[in-house]
Amino acid sequence: MPQSDASHRPSFLLRPGEWALVLAIALAIGLTALADANHSYWFRPLESVRDIARNTALLGIFALGATVVIIAGGIDLSAGSMIALSSTVCATTMLALAPAQMMGFKPVGAIAVIVGCAASLLVGFLVGTLHAWLITSVRLPPFIATLATLVGLRSFARALCESSTAALTPTKSALINISDPFFKTVRDNVWIPVAVFGLLAIVTWLLLTRTVLGRHLHALGGNEQAARLAGIRTDNVKWFAYCFGAMTAALAGLFYMANESVAAPVNQGRGHELNAIAAAVVGGCSLAGGVGTVPGTVLGTIFLRVVIDAVSKIIKTGADVYEGLIVGIVVVIAVTLAQVGQLAKGGRQLLPGALGLCAIPTLAVLCGAIVSMTAGGRTGIAAGIGAAVFLGLLRLWESRRTA
Amino acid sequence: MTAAADTTGMGDAATQAVVMRGITKRFPGVVALADVTLEVRRGELHAICGENGAGKSTLMKILSGVYQPDEGDLEIGGRPVQFTGTRDAEQAGVAIIHQELALVEDLSVAANVFLGREKRTTLGLLDDRGMHDECGRLLESLECPVSPATRTGSLRVGDQQLVEIAKALSLEASIVVMDEPTSALTESESARLERTIKRLLAAGTTILYISHKMDEVFRLADRITVLRDGRHVRTVDRADTNPRQITGWMVGRDLADHDVRQDRTRGPTLLEVRGLTLPWPDHPRGYRLSDVSFDLHAGEILGVAGLMGAGRTELLETIFGAGELIWSGEIRLDGKPVRFRHPREACDARIAMVTEDRKRLGLFPDLDVAGNVSLCSLSEALRGGLLSRRREEGLVTGPIRDTGVKTPGPHAAITGLSGGNQQKCIISRWLLTKPAILLLDDPTRGIDVGAKAELYALIDRLCRDGLGVILTSSELPELLTLADRIIVLAEGRLTAELSRAEATEQKIMEAATGG
Repeated sequence: MPQSDASHRPSFLLRPGEWALVLAIALAIGLTALADANHSYWFRPLESVRDIARNTALLGIFALGATVVIIAGGIDLSAGSMIALSSTVCATTMLALAPAQMMGFKPVGAIAVIVGCAASLLVGFLVGTLHAWLITSVRLPPFIATLATLVGLRSFARALCESSTAALTPTKSALINISDPFFKTVRDNVWIPVAVFGLLAIVTWLLLTRTVLGRHLHALGGNEQAARLAGIRTDNVKWFAYCFGAMTAALAGLFYMANESVAAPVNQGRGHELNAIAAAVVGGCSLAGGVGTVPGTVLGTIFLRVVIDAVSKIIKTGADVYEGLIVGIVVVIAVTLAQVGQLAKGGRQLLPGALGLCAIPTLAVLCGAIVSMTAGGRTGIAAGIGAAVFLGLLRLWESRRTA
Repeated sequence: MTAAADTTGMGDAATQAVVMRGITKRFPGVVALADVTLEVRRGELHAICGENGAGKSTLMKILSGVYQPDEGDLEIGGRPVQFTGTRDAEQAGVAIIHQELALVEDLSVAANVFLGREKRTTLGLLDDRGMHDECGRLLESLECPVSPATRTGSLRVGDQQLVEIAKALSLEASIVVMDEPTSALTESESARLERTIKRLLAAGTTILYISHKMDEVFRLADRITVLRDGRHVRTVDRADTNPRQITGWMVGRDLADHDVRQDRTRGPTLLEVRGLTLPWPDHPRGYRLSDVSFDLHAGEILGVAGLMGAGRTELLETIFGAGELIWSGEIRLDGKPVRFRHPREACDARIAMVTEDRKRLGLFPDLDVAGNVSLCSLSEALRGGLLSRRREEGLVTGPIRDTGVKTPGPHAAITGLSGGNQQKCIISRWLLTKPAILLLDDPTRGIDVGAKAELYALIDRLCRDGLGVILTSSELPELLTLADRIIVLAEGRLTAELSRAEATEQKIMEAATGG
């Protein structure tokens, strides 16, 4: 039956959800171009593109790592701390190899740079190995194992930074400045992180769709016991997934260090692990494992960064205050929209019973508070009332439909 | 109300504790129960017997509100009822003690007994002391020497079962369903349970009792109902029958019309298993398998019979290297001793295993048909180091056609296929690895009759091609149709080895229950 066979073929280039993301990105950009009082998308388009591209590339690099781990049915909460550890390891290594140049803000030489970067990636491999060991041999749940390294690695990075500066420089310090021209070049040329991100995306896409290992990753995430019984060495596949996750975070850490010209283990990459997971989830990954694509994650990352940029353009002051809020809202809305069809078909209610009744004022107050903080009190109150009315009508409609 | 005063008045509402009339329950692909009618008298112990898959547990789950019947009526104490959940059934006085116990292991015994119906003080706080004391009284009446404050997970299975019974007592249930309650108990625990049952009966409780064990059934039951293939066979007074007759009714159906086993030629020995023993820590029995020995030849089908929990799956998993526990004994493959630590090693030694629980242990719902079939032989679908979709399709087309999978195409979702076609996909997956030995663990479970016949023909053909096949089944006719030899397991021990000529359902059932 060739006709029905064709209908089962993967749709053209992207899946429906991914086309929806493309549309959403275009919509967000269009809205920002119109709503931004400074019209920076019109007057300084290059600057805006550069900004979004850099942020997308940096987040995207380890969002790809998160994607592989999530498809394999795991989770890696430690990426943000891995970023801090990676930049610290690179800076410390360069400090040890060329202390005089590092302290005198002079070039440290190609060898020190290469060894420093290699050391960071090696540490990424070691952290991934630690995760895989904790998960497969000690049998910790992935959430617990990587929660431990989320807290532990940042502390470890800070201790490393302080003890190495104490030993190698006159004063103990919680950060190491980077002034080598190589990292300045990386900072000033946006195309470098973008090219690295693009290349990594292609490699990851090939890995997931066209290699045996990629198929095994999907099988592992889809049904771990069946994968083992099909003769797949699931422990080794997990080892790869967690190493890939940690090493992409280490790579991103090098870019963050270059970008900020400093290795600062206390703050660098803090909370970024959740942005990476959010990008993957918005891009269609299922935290249950087995489902997810590279194009989805790339689009999810772009969408997140475009929305964050849009909010910072529209609300002038303190835009970074709202970053977490935006990521949270985008994730909830994206995942809710992905199951709208199920909601309609299954007769499941969004606002059932007493819980639904209490959710209406909760959401209305939240909506009102956000709007009043960003657009003024009166608008906020109106938005809150509007949300309450809308949700109230939705509940009425739902209870009618099920009754 | 008079309790069981009138034993002859069938249909008299006052004497009937439970009436289930014309119950039909369908699951995707199977009819679990077809027009079953069951009447249980007030205060009697009514045993329900049948093979695995006969519909016993499904019927009891309908009675206790776990499932809702597709057709049929239910009456409790003469009043028609309709349960939408277990809570409804509990309110009507029906409590069930499931085969797999449903206790929250991290809560105390008292908390479990009152779970969902916690006692409260006048202030609305938890009345821990009240629950503790009442639970203590219940446990005492059950000869259960544990404290109500004990963490439930730390109890032995036998004591956990008594906790479930205490829960039923606290509900003041007038009807108690027990689903194979002694399957995990030691003899002394079983004896204690029997004393409890007698006490419940003396207090006027009606008990429905599922069991495979004929000696138990004949010691306890007032009447016995036999189910087969989801149908009611008959209900008799214990005094009017004997164990032989009951096992006869349990298995007594027509064999498949054609015998597919004719003129198969037996090849050399492939696999020798000697004294295989698999431990079972934290279980009163202490072992899952004990001293099991047998041979498998090329071109033969070896059937493994046994009831639920007899160790069939464990036997295959041990051979395949999929078990976690360390076994003792010897497994020789082509004369060389082997000990596989991972299924991969077994695959490399050309052994394949089709697992029992297709959905949980076999299928990859996120991969399409081609992906599910090619999974174990992806190296043959490579071109230039990368997977080629075209090669993969080419690879799977042959086995999909040979095994007769009905699918819209290799890109179809595996979850859209019927159970039989999914099973053929999994068999195709393993055939691509060109195995010498094929382990089939209950391959036709949950598959409709037509697809079963196709699978039988397929298994027979593979065997003629020289494969050695080990087949387990919970359905005896299936083993009798397919197998050249049958070994019978009972509670982890090998209790009989029967050639095709000597094997009958009766003999197998006796070996499986008597062991």
